[in-house]
Amino acid sequence: MDKETLSELHRIFQDVQSKADWKSALDTLVLSMRGSFVFDNVAIYLSDRKSAGLDVVYARAIGRGKTSEADAAWGEMAANDVISNEHMIIRGPGKNSNRENRMSQTHLLGIPLYIGSKLRGALLFVRFGGPEYSDIHIHVASLQAVWAAALLERKELQEARAELDSVQRQMRLQDDFVSTISHELRTPLGFIKGYSTSLLRQDTVWDEETQREFLIIIDEEADRLTKLIEDMLESARLQSKTIQFKFSPIRLDSLVRDVSSRIKTHHPNLVIEMKVESLPPVLGDGVRLSQVIENLLGNAIKYAPGSKITVTGSATEKRVRLSIADEGEGIPEEYIPFLFERFYRVPGERTVTGTGLGLYICKQIVMAHHGNIWVESVLDRGTTFMIELPADPTL
Amino acid sequence: MAKRILIVDDEPRYLRLLEANLRTEGYEVVTAQDGMQALDIFSSNPIDLVLMDVMMPRLDGFGATQRLREFTNVPIVILTARGEEQDRVRGLDLGADDYLIKPFSATELLARVRAVLRRAHSSSDAVQVRFFTHDDLKIDFARAEVWRGEEPVSLSATEYRLLLQFAHNVGKILTSEDLLTSVWGVEYKSDKEILWVSIARLRQKLEKDAHTPKHIVTRSGLGYLMPPTEV
Repeated sequence: MDKETLSELHRIFQDVQSKADWKSALDTLVLSMRGSFVFDNVAIYLSDRKSAGLDVVYARAIGRGKTSEADAAWGEMAANDVISNEHMIIRGPGKNSNRENRMSQTHLLGIPLYIGSKLRGALLFVRFGGPEYSDIHIHVASLQAVWAAALLERKELQEARAELDSVQRQMRLQDDFVSTISHELRTPLGFIKGYSTSLLRQDTVWDEETQREFLIIIDEEADRLTKLIEDMLESARLQSKTIQFKFSPIRLDSLVRDVSSRIKTHHPNLVIEMKVESLPPVLGDGVRLSQVIENLLGNAIKYAPGSKITVTGSATEKRVRLSIADEGEGIPEEYIPFLFERFYRVPGERTVTGTGLGLYICKQIVMAHHGNIWVESVLDRGTTFMIELPADPTL
Repeated sequence: MAKRILIVDDEPRYLRLLEANLRTEGYEVVTAQDGMQALDIFSSNPIDLVLMDVMMPRLDGFGATQRLREFTNVPIVILTARGEEQDRVRGLDLGADDYLIKPFSATELLARVRAVLRRAHSSSDAVQVRFFTHDDLKIDFARAEVWRGEEPVSLSATEYRLLLQFAHNVGKILTSEDLLTSVWGVEYKSDKEILWVSIARLRQKLEKDAHTPKHIVTRSGLGYLMPPTEV
């Protein structure tokens, strides 16, 4: 190989391999070789991995006939011939072809494509009106065929890999779900079992203070377990859509006032600032929406202890929005995207008990109302949860 | 002398539960909240037994067990909420002596601790050397860190595993096959070139003069060895 050819090949190789997708790689390949091998149309036929039929996977009209649609039907018969004979074919124009019309003077060159050791398809070139294919042309075309096969193999591997990835992701999600449930249930059970068997030990005497400490833990963990089971059932029902929502016109402003005053009876020192004027009604299920508001207020109390909570209402013609803001530590940005996922808990959040289901349930309920729920948070400044529901369209 | 037990768990209520029960039996208790902390505590305190949770932030129980086994025979009992067979097998394969599935009763826990300690009665003289030195070369097994004099050396995971083979077998000739099998896996048994390249790179990083190596020496036709240091 002379130096010029070598450096030319090197350049083409680099150009082709650097293309991210297989189609532009093939484009680069066929165009860059056109200097030494002229053709008008090119097409690749490939037998499907699953069915037996031939598919056109790639076709370009480059020279004459460019204006007519890149119809690759001209090659299908030839491709079938290449595959059934397992051999290259060269086919000139028939005797009856119209010598006046170049476009009917087709010169075909078909080369078998092997992926691995398997004959999988054919690469076809066509020239309208000649000249005939010379040896050097056939060489260049054969090189392109080997190369195209490698590019197609890469494409198939990439597709197979993507398919595998998605199957694996599905399996992992299911796996994670089962192991999360079992972990979540075992944790409180483990405490109840551990601390109660500690108290039952006959070979030791616990002082009164320790006994009380252990009993409080058992009591709290039993509550946690109950809550966890309730939440799990609730979220399963929401997900399977077996919960019947009872929609009626609801005013979020009065709903949020009711919930706040109920919560205040349990937290007498809590400050809730209401910036809620009268809001247009939404079509919703009052019980479920109270549940959402209660959950969001409850979170603010749990995760931003001692902070003031500000509830703001606003409305446009079509949407009604409620925001619930605390002035706590805030949530690190990297955790925000996962907050509404099932069983997700911010890492390191150990001091506060929670099931990781509250926000997931909120989201399900809000979605069932065709609304939105999202969060904004600034570290050391606080966290704001927002829900937005469509205004009652019947009014 | 009271046996000292290290408890590793990220749930404060488990730490409290284990600590309270162990103290009634006269054990001394030290606690850590994740694997990294456990390794640090381990190196500064003589420990007779480790109770290790699995799911923990930073370094989990499996990772910490594996790291500990690089330099100590201390008995390790894995505490896991995951009862699946493959998890139990994995823990034992990594070098744990026993496991306990959460939820467990306090009396069973204490019985297991007694049993494991009884089996490992010689644990006080178990090898508990966190640091390895060979001339100016120093390895911190707990943190998987390597130093040349005062200079930290950065090794790839494979290079580190290769170095450990020598550190654990000072004075012993290791054949290419031994090294390839234990570091890369049995399917690499005859890929000598990989070993040559890796040894050369390791020497570049560890030796003062890579041409006259002191740490990893070639014995032509036999293999490689880390020679014993002169006393």
